[in-house]
Amino acid sequence: MEYIRMYSTFTKKAFLRSAAYRFDVWSRLISNVIFLLMWGSIWMALYSGREEAEGVSLVVMLTYVAVSQFLNAVNGAGTPLWEIQEKVRTGDIAFELMKPFDVPLRYLFADFGSVSFYILTALIPLYTILFIFFDLELPTSWLVWLFFILSAFLGFLIRYCIELTFGLFTFWLIETGGIEDIFYFSVSLLSGSVIPLWFFPGWLQTIASYLPFQGIYFIPNAIFIEEIAGQEMFMSISIQLFWLIVCYLILRFLWNKATKKVIVQGG
Amino acid sequence: MLSFLSYIPLYFRLVGAGIRAQMQYRFAFIMRIVGMITAYAGTAVTMWVMLYEFKQLGQWNFYELLFLFAIAVVSWGFCIILFFHFRSLDTYIVNGTFDRFLVRPINPFFHFMAMKFDIGAAGQFIFSIFVFIWVSSVLDIHWQLANSIFLVFAIIGGVLIQGGLLVMISAIAFWTTKSERFYWVVMYPARNLTNYPLGIYPKVVQWFTAFVVPFGFVNYFPATVILKKDIPFFPDYIGYFTPLVGLVFFLIAYRLWMFGLNHYKSAGS
Repeated sequence: MEYIRMYSTFTKKAFLRSAAYRFDVWSRLISNVIFLLMWGSIWMALYSGREEAEGVSLVVMLTYVAVSQFLNAVNGAGTPLWEIQEKVRTGDIAFELMKPFDVPLRYLFADFGSVSFYILTALIPLYTILFIFFDLELPTSWLVWLFFILSAFLGFLIRYCIELTFGLFTFWLIETGGIEDIFYFSVSLLSGSVIPLWFFPGWLQTIASYLPFQGIYFIPNAIFIEEIAGQEMFMSISIQLFWLIVCYLILRFLWNKATKKVIVQGG
Repeated sequence: MLSFLSYIPLYFRLVGAGIRAQMQYRFAFIMRIVGMITAYAGTAVTMWVMLYEFKQLGQWNFYELLFLFAIAVVSWGFCIILFFHFRSLDTYIVNGTFDRFLVRPINPFFHFMAMKFDIGAAGQFIFSIFVFIWVSSVLDIHWQLANSIFLVFAIIGGVLIQGGLLVMISAIAFWTTKSERFYWVVMYPARNLTNYPLGIYPKVVQWFTAFVVPFGFVNYFPATVILKKDIPFFPDYIGYFTPLVGLVFFLIAYRLWMFGLNHYKSAGS
């Protein structure tokens, strides 16, 4: 209990801090709208006259795009990775490590604050308008909503663990350009964030189904448009839970190794 | 003020110093190049996966799409070398370090431009040259004198357009002390839009990218000329205007920057 109260202070602080940077919220929202426009147009052009592809209609596909961009915005609203890396480079991370809290948890709880501020003030209004004025489909049963929210939350945690793990390479390499780009590419393609897994060539689909990235976008998106339904929902959530545990353990392992090796540059 | 011609050797002097400084961090340099090639190859793979099921995106097949993308990448490579640091003008202004560009007897725009010469752009060139060679053989593009010269001028035009927008964005900092943010809000998504044929977007967007922020001239219009493709809403020859559009847009941007400079008040100490 004591623990939760301590970390939720970070959530509250981050929430209030976000309120002070309104320009940030606006700028993120504008780029989110541009990406919605881009991927919406691309999928309309790809379908161009086709009723359906792989059993998925255009309306359902556009809903997939909208949900995916929503989750993309949610996942991008926390502390950016480079900010943590900058702390490693400048050595400021040492001050955080000295304090009596767990750094990965502290950033996670702070992210809860800034993300919920962003969802409440920007994303909910934008996506309400989007779903009212465009021909998109909402889930019909509350159970689907429930599973979607749970799955999206698990996806958020998986993404957080993987991203921070990649960020940890800064402790060893200082310059992480190449590795980071591989990470961002894997996340954007293999997670199904822009192309659903069912449109992949068979072999790539197999690879993607053995990787954790599908848990970030593909599973919640597919639950929302009810491509994953019924019993399959339980199965998919279990896959996400499995990957969350694995990714968390890897993060913990590397975190312990990395913090023992803090190189304070110019210290 | 120096005459225009004497600026050229000066530019290479300043730039040479910058390159030597960057080569001190060889590992970082190589990592950046590897990273950039990976990122662009990633976009290319995404395009391939996208067209695996659908074959065409608004009448463009995978190789044509790749060609379109490579033109954008190559001109962006030159932009990184020449103008990319303009986006962080706000940092210089806020820290007060911008003043040093004003106390020397050379044009401040030139001085700021020559301050940095990012050779990390080698990644863009390696990627796009590879794509040009590959796609030219698949699509049977015959490179003759006429279309080669056109491509060179189109790339110069594209550099001027994107560089012009970077200069305009940086000029905002003279009034608001903010510029880097505007880059990420306006230019980064706009650059992503132009990775795909503009013909697939709503008409308003196409007009906007042709006549307001002329990003259509960076790669879409020139590519339609070289690949001899039909474009909806615009005349086929519109791509030939690319160098002119680039020149005019850049001159406007330069004027705006100099105008902003007159408004500039130092952050002081």
